[in-house]
Amino acid sequence: MNGRPGRALVGLAVVCLGLAAPLRAHRVDEYLQAARVSIAADRVSVELDLTPGVAIAPSILAMIDTDGNGDISAAESDTYARGVIDGLVMTVDGRPIRPRLDRRQMPEWRDAKEGTGVIRLLASVTLPVLTEGSHQLFLGNTHRADIGVYLANAMVPADRRIEITGQRRDVAQHELTIDYALARATDGPAVSVWQATAGILIVTALGVVVLRRRGGL
Amino acid sequence: MAIRVPKKTMLLLTAAALVWIALPVVVRSTQQRGQAPINPASGTAARAVTAANAFLATLTEAERAKAAFPFDSPQKTNWSNLPSPMYPRHSLKLGDLTPPKRDAVMALMAVVLSREGYQKALDIMNGDEVLKNNQGGKGGGPQFGLSEYFIAILGTPSATTPWMVQFGGHHLALNITIVGASNVLTPSLPAAQPATYTLNGQSIRPLGDENDKGFALINALDAGQQAKAILASRVTDLVLGPTQDGKVIQPEGLLASAMTAAQQNMLIDLAHEWVGILNDEGAGSKMAEIRANLAKTYFAWSGPTTSGSVAYFRIQGPTVVIEYAPQKTVDHIHTIYRDPTNDYGAGLIKR
Repeated sequence: MNGRPGRALVGLAVVCLGLAAPLRAHRVDEYLQAARVSIAADRVSVELDLTPGVAIAPSILAMIDTDGNGDISAAESDTYARGVIDGLVMTVDGRPIRPRLDRRQMPEWRDAKEGTGVIRLLASVTLPVLTEGSHQLFLGNTHRADIGVYLANAMVPADRRIEITGQRRDVAQHELTIDYALARATDGPAVSVWQATAGILIVTALGVVVLRRRGGL
Repeated sequence: MAIRVPKKTMLLLTAAALVWIALPVVVRSTQQRGQAPINPASGTAARAVTAANAFLATLTEAERAKAAFPFDSPQKTNWSNLPSPMYPRHSLKLGDLTPPKRDAVMALMAVVLSREGYQKALDIMNGDEVLKNNQGGKGGGPQFGLSEYFIAILGTPSATTPWMVQFGGHHLALNITIVGASNVLTPSLPAAQPATYTLNGQSIRPLGDENDKGFALINALDAGQQAKAILASRVTDLVLGPTQDGKVIQPEGLLASAMTAAQQNMLIDLAHEWVGILNDEGAGSKMAEIRANLAKTYFAWSGPTTSGSVAYFRIQGPTVVIEYAPQKTVDHIHTIYRDPTNDYGAGLIKR
């Protein structure tokens, strides 16, 4: 046996409460906005997760529920989501680029009111043709800066031509600058020496079989 | 002139070619993970099968329906740091079980966790009981406490096929995937609120060692190393918390290869606070993997370096991500432990 009950579950009746600070289970009065940026050679995607804390959720919901009927319609969700994405500032090598909303997922009203609902947005933008070498992508997000707290990160690129060489942010993570290198495109899919050798071997073997059957060998 | 190639030779030739294709992939994979191929359950994994079956045998049909899920059920990712009413878990609640059945749950956890890991889980749960009773502090209430933890068994406890033990509630999510003799703890979320409390006259800090060892490491770095390790930005929460399965952020901070041997040992010791929650066999093989990948492992810090401050840190290597994120106060800590190549045992199952 690896483990044994030590300080057991029983005996909590004698727990002494030496706690002074108010305790809360989760984010309360802040609007957490977590951005994750994926860079490919020709495209940039931004995932944005927005989590309003329980104390400010009503004001965020009121922003979304523009007709005030206590329900978030698809049209209201779209309007809010597009507004958030349109508010992002993005540039590549100093040139402005405009991400478009690809997908949005709204939380249940009840979850949002309890401060546990997450608004999930996915946006992307096609990049202008870039030369090989160093580039710089900038993302700025100041949506509800009065109550917002921010996280902004580059994802490990799925595109092998991209190498992230640095990330810089301001203290509050409103702004993220990603330095990256774009490598030359290879012609066709990459094939290892092993695979090429094995391929030649198989083709040769098959050729021998075919020629044998035709009586050529 | 015809060359006769016997059928057997052709078959051998084709087999050799296929091995040739597969060999570099297998070698690369083994080199990266540094683990042996799957073996049937023995030792801890075998004892876990016995303990899980013993627990399941105590249940009524209705209880079993709540505790048992298919291995690939959506329940696998149904975990959170949040209290249960805010985050429905759909599995079997400790509070709905008789004491002997609860004991069977905890006996299973005692097998799959290390002694220290089991104690850490208990300390987190006992902390939640403190939170529950702290009505004057605005944080308490019936949604907290020892009864609000849940157990699920995904798949059939087996010596050969993958299965999983999922245990958690507020501030605790433990996902132990067992594949034959191997087992992994990722993803898991040990957290704490309050981060310090008194129980039976003893001061308890469920994540105290994580905090202390983190501060010790950042303060062991020289100014040049700190300049690389300390991020200019404020990190206020987990980046790869619940619902962020499968995502890999770009690593940042100071590479372990730029640390002295003593500093590297401190980093390994710090990582062990999470890895070592798992039973000794599983943790041992994971620590070997972390050591093998140490040169590619980063340590990043955000916040003041004075012990007792609100500060975030992250350890990130090819097969490990650990984040430690105070929630505005040192008395409320969230952490996460992931393996981008092996969450829910995905890497073990592929092999």
